[in-house]
Amino acid sequence: MTSDQAGGAAPPDEYVEAEIQRLLTEDPAVAEQGITVIRREDTLVLYGEVESAHRREEILRRVAERFPDVPISSDIGVIRAQAPTEIEQLP
Amino acid sequence: MVIRIAAVGDVHLDEDVVGRFRPALEELPECADVLLLAGDLTRHGTEAEARCVAQEFGGLAVPVVTVLGNHDHQCDQVPQVVKVLEDAGITVLEGDGVVLDCAGGRLGIAGVKGFGGGFAGRCASDFGEPEMKSFVRTTNESAERLGAALRSLDCDMLVALTHYSPVPDTLVGEPLEIYPFLGSYQLGQAIDSAPTALAVHGHAHAGTERGTTPGGVRVRNVAHPVIKQAYSVFHVGDQLDTDQVSPIGGSGSQRSWS
Ligand SMILES: [Fe+2]
Ligand SMILES: [Fe+2]
Repeated sequence: MTSDQAGGAAPPDEYVEAEIQRLLTEDPAVAEQGITVIRREDTLVLYGEVESAHRREEILRRVAERFPDVPISSDIGVIRAQAPTEIEQLP
Repeated sequence: MVIRIAAVGDVHLDEDVVGRFRPALEELPECADVLLLAGDLTRHGTEAEARCVAQEFGGLAVPVVTVLGNHDHQCDQVPQVVKVLEDAGITVLEGDGVVLDCAGGRLGIAGVKGFGGGFAGRCASDFGEPEMKSFVRTTNESAERLGAALRSLDCDMLVALTHYSPVPDTLVGEPLEIYPFLGSYQLGQAIDSAPTALAVHGHAHAGTERGTTPGGVRVRNVAHPVIKQAYSVFHVGDQLDTDQVSPIGGSGSQRSWS
């Protein structure tokens, strides 16, 4: 696993990106398929929408735990759950 | 004849979300004849999470009809999940359908989870390794069951409910590379094999709301992260019955009911 390399150079960004993407889905504490990981200069930015603030915190916690050396920032929103104010007519 | 359909998918419930949808759901009887859930009701498909779904979506004053999503399969507890939902009065469809008597007529809903495979010209084929053939056969069988269910219903209006998408239109916003994991054209073909009025799906969290099958059936992606509200409401009906359409009338008009 690239993240466990000891003493070597930092793993290539693309592999880190791939691993984070899979962790977001496969880690039972996260289980999100709707989070996008993009590389912006030296930082990986996570964005997307989740169902609760707790889940957003959990994502950042798990990613930081697994990749302590990767600078991560996030722009994850909590999806609104209000009743709609408009309808769509489909004649 | 107008039937009012509320729909949402991908609510991914667990304890941390219970109660968030309920205030909006309590308003349903005023604005909809039925609530459709387009799968991914839970995060991991556990019985405990299904109880959260039952608590949030059970005991509503309108009928609730659902299909399961891929997340609802994660822990291999599908029979337990289905039982918890059915005990809460939620109708779970998988290759079958239900007909509801609504004020505007008999609404027939046929549902399957569906599966991936991709879209015409860019899709997986039933060829090669057993794993590949089994993947594509899963898609084919699911679509065949959806088509058969749609064609079997005796009703005034027909709606198809899936988790995976029947068209690429509603995936716009997702990376092109993952389209084959988000839906399959065979589902669209099944929908077009019957006089379907509307097809509703979820699964594509970064997709877009509106699309159309090659046969002209309107498709709506109602994944919660896409619609960003508790549910969407569609008034589906015959344009001729203008008396029953909302006072504003006309396609694409908007009206607040609160
Ligand atoms: Fe989902
Ligand atoms: Fe899904």
